[in-house]
Amino acid sequence: MTEIQSPENVRKRNYKHKNNNDIYHKMIEEIEDYAIILLDKNGFIRDWNKGAEKIKLYNEGEILGKHFSIFYLQEDIDANLPQKLLTQAEETGKAVHEGWRKRKDGSKFWGSITITAIHDEKHNVIGFSKVTRDLTEKKRTEDELRMSEERYHRMIAEVQDYAIILLDENGFIQNWNIGAEKIKGYKADEIVGKHFSIFYPAEDQQNKLPDQLLERARAEGKALHEGWRIRKDGSRFWGTIVITALHGKDNTIIGFSKVTRDLTEKKIADEKLLSYTAELEIQNGELEQFAYVASHDLQEPLRKIQTFTELIKDNYNDEQFVDRYFEKLDTSAKRMALLVKSLLNYSRLSNDKSEKTKVDLNTVLAETKQDFELLIEEKKATIKSTNLPTVFGNYTQLGQLFSNLISNALKFSNGDPLIEITAKTVSRQDIQEAPVSLLHKHFYEISFRDNGIGFEQQYDKLIFSLFQRLHGKHEYNGTGIGLALCKKIAENHGGCIKAEGEPGKGATFTAYLPADV
Amino acid sequence: MQCLLVDDDLDDQEVFLMTLEKINKNIKCLTANNGVEALSLLSTQNSFVPDYIFLDVNMPKMNGIECLKNIKNLSHLNDCKIFMYSTTSETSVLEKSKNLGATDFIVKPSSPATLKATLSVILDN
Repeated sequence: MTEIQSPENVRKRNYKHKNNNDIYHKMIEEIEDYAIILLDKNGFIRDWNKGAEKIKLYNEGEILGKHFSIFYLQEDIDANLPQKLLTQAEETGKAVHEGWRKRKDGSKFWGSITITAIHDEKHNVIGFSKVTRDLTEKKRTEDELRMSEERYHRMIAEVQDYAIILLDENGFIQNWNIGAEKIKGYKADEIVGKHFSIFYPAEDQQNKLPDQLLERARAEGKALHEGWRIRKDGSRFWGTIVITALHGKDNTIIGFSKVTRDLTEKKIADEKLLSYTAELEIQNGELEQFAYVASHDLQEPLRKIQTFTELIKDNYNDEQFVDRYFEKLDTSAKRMALLVKSLLNYSRLSNDKSEKTKVDLNTVLAETKQDFELLIEEKKATIKSTNLPTVFGNYTQLGQLFSNLISNALKFSNGDPLIEITAKTVSRQDIQEAPVSLLHKHFYEISFRDNGIGFEQQYDKLIFSLFQRLHGKHEYNGTGIGLALCKKIAENHGGCIKAEGEPGKGATFTAYLPADV
Repeated sequence: MQCLLVDDDLDDQEVFLMTLEKINKNIKCLTANNGVEALSLLSTQNSFVPDYIFLDVNMPKMNGIECLKNIKNLSHLNDCKIFMYSTTSETSVLEKSKNLGATDFIVKPSSPATLKATLSVILDN
């Protein structure tokens, strides 16, 4: 089916063609936002529009006939880019490229170009159209955005004091920063892809704490927590963490950020402060109790001195009476002096921070026996002992311990005293009577057994209280400080002391002192 | 009139008895050295029903507070007035003895004259 080509139609068509060509040319010429350039098949510029002039700043007269590589930077020319693009357009129909180009004044612009091959009817390339768009603004915005993103990324990556970790929506680690490496000890390639629960102690994993935290962050936007966490080397650190849910555009959760801070030092300092405060409170309580009992026991002889003085004054003429009460006055004053001395000794013990050394208890016993030589002889006492260990402690205090226990055994005797001192090693679990330091596993059990008057077992704790006496002052003299002192000495050494007895059958005092120091 | 003094301090016992004698020679006063002795005396000698008991607080074997508790369980002593008699008065001990039914708390005076005055007021009532 061929259309009949009437002369009228041919004329009309030619007119339309010519008109269209003109308008088309005009249209291209007037476009301002695109440089539209016609190149011959070797890349020389044949035509030029307003847009080209606006973008590249050459006027038509200057540029026609020039090679289009004039717009390229020297390095691109050296790399033969213009020719490569032409060849690509020739072979594939078009070439697309983005890159820096040069204006007439030497300034640069970011050009986005498309070179399209133009063919004749026989499909030979007769030239190229080159459309260039100036995307400098867009490029700058994109670059700024990229730089800002990169800066942000580097900022997070290089923060040292916080572990900043990205988790996927199931808690698997997506990235890792220097802070995380520093705090947790893993390198990025060891940890990315692992689940974040790896940082939690076994008991927290069993209690599903990591899952609970993610769940809370999911529900409430974020989850805060403080607790012990585990480093790569198995050591613990006190972490304070914030897990924040990250939302996508449709508000679904796409992951979590997890920021962790290592506050171990602060935690340790806090705990030290707490234990220090607790210790201080205990000491305060002890001091209050001490002040009460001390004032009570010190007031007693003082009151008597005042009473006796008044009685002596009132009965000045009764010589016998006066003699008797002067005697009592003297006893009271001596007792007061003894009490003050013992109290001072006891209070010094509480503050004793002196260095501990190796102390051979055989030597301590020998010296104590020497101190009591006269009394031992007078009482016809026998002291037997097995070989005693060498402990780590305060020589003077251990001397006081031995001295008080042996003098008690001599004092509360019933006939000829027999004192047996034995020692053996026991483990901490074997000591149930009193608390001992958890720092030690093994203790020396040193027993002082006597055949004296003994005591009722119900007083086994009371016997160690300050100023507590089981006997009337007229029966046995003493200050009620000795055994309290022994208890304090055992405790100062990380050990303890216990008492066992039966009235009339003797008493056994057993001190436990650490064996593994 | 009958009294019982429970005190482990023999000097204090002596001064107390001496003072009491000065107030009234006819007052019969027994002594016990601690709570255990006092209870044994009160429960074995039914004929001895004191009108006043003076109880020291710090004593070996059984202290004054424990002794007070036990005396209050002895029905034949319901009319007996019990005075705590100690060197010092600590608030907690003071309250305990009050709650357990002690009539009053006397701090041992350092002057025998003051003791005489105090005891006179108690015994006159």
